[in-house]
Amino acid sequence: MTEHRFSAHEALAAVPDLTPEQLDRYIRVGVIQPVQSDHGPVFRDIDIARLALIVDLADGYSLDDEALGLIMSLLDQLHGLRGDMRAILDAVAHEPPETRASLSRTIREVRVVIRR
Amino acid sequence: MADDPYAALGLTKSASQDDIKKAYRRIAKTDHPDLNPDPKAAERFKAASSAYDLLKDAEQRARFDRGEIDASGQETPQRHYYREYAEAGDSPYRQQYGNFDDLNDVFSDLFGQRGGAGFGGAGFGGSGFGGGRGGARSFDMRGNDQRFTLEIDFMTAARGGSTRITMPDGSALEVKIPEGARDGQVIRLRGKGGPGMGEGGAGDALLTLIVADDPDWTRDGDNVEVTLPITIDEAVLGGKVEVPTISGAVMMTIPRGASSGRKMRLKGRGIKGADGKHGDQVVVLKIVMPDRIDDELAAFFENWRKDHAYDPHGRN
Repeated sequence: MTEHRFSAHEALAAVPDLTPEQLDRYIRVGVIQPVQSDHGPVFRDIDIARLALIVDLADGYSLDDEALGLIMSLLDQLHGLRGDMRAILDAVAHEPPETRASLSRTIREVRVVIRR
Repeated sequence: MADDPYAALGLTKSASQDDIKKAYRRIAKTDHPDLNPDPKAAERFKAASSAYDLLKDAEQRARFDRGEIDASGQETPQRHYYREYAEAGDSPYRQQYGNFDDLNDVFSDLFGQRGGAGFGGAGFGGSGFGGGRGGARSFDMRGNDQRFTLEIDFMTAARGGSTRITMPDGSALEVKIPEGARDGQVIRLRGKGGPGMGEGGAGDALLTLIVADDPDWTRDGDNVEVTLPITIDEAVLGGKVEVPTISGAVMMTIPRGASSGRKMRLKGRGIKGADGKHGDQVVVLKIVMPDRIDDELAAFFENWRKDHAYDPHGRN
């Protein structure tokens, strides 16, 4: 099932305060990577949400494109790791209590004791 | 949203348009849910962002101030934060940072398969410092692999073909789609990625394919399915009809008395699989009535029904 796609025009309407020049620039420097199609670039829901965040960050912190690229890279890694961590926590939650207790002991040793 | 959008932004009615924008930006900086995981921050951001949507346009703000519209009427549909997408395991934006792959590190740790490669081992795999030893030599590094997503239609995927994509720098690139391309398949274009440094070659462009849904065709592995509309007389009497296939129309024989939903199989008319063999095409029959039921047809059935009534529900 393919989800909804936004044209460049629709993307501009969906993201407040985004100008056509900004959109072109973000694509050129690679912080936004729309899907390529026969009808030119089209935008997924993830691209729209990312654009809204980029507009907030770029305006709020007066970021140039390089700094923006760095922050988005760090955020992608952070969000990705959070997702990974949730997956691990879910997996751990399905383990029997003894396993969970043993994991929790090990984590305390490496994260809590060593840090002292 | 709070009843008073000015309060949500920490302002009063006398605030200038500029103040409103600044107040929103200030709250976005500290409370944006993509930066701050605290649920209270998310609440503040949500209120500020609805307030900003209402007040950012001077004309709309004036209408609100005059009481012509109310704050709640202006709530925008639930905003989707980037993290909702970015936390997914297959976020396309996370894959582009070299071979950075903590997930595999973490998960191979769990299963005790961790090799020697720690952080950075993979990320700089293709690199090396310049040939000679000693001295500050130029440094050679292979360019980054760049990831793109390419959407193609059903027939292009099934038959193969070529399509042009525009690279971020504006240049066009011709891409060959192999016959039988699958959703999620990755095509590697050697040397079409980021430029290398020094003697290092360019990286590759990696295109992840998305096969768009087709209104007529569906696909299950190498088999394809299409719905074929037929007339009532074809359904009753049977006969030869033309059926579209991936490689052009063919004639197919419909048996006498075919019902809607009946599935016919055309062997070897599906998609060419990895082993070079073609899958099958399933044709689902669908009886379509004529645009108008004329008197002759109605009269025939009225007469026919008297002696030949039948029960498709199997109630008798």
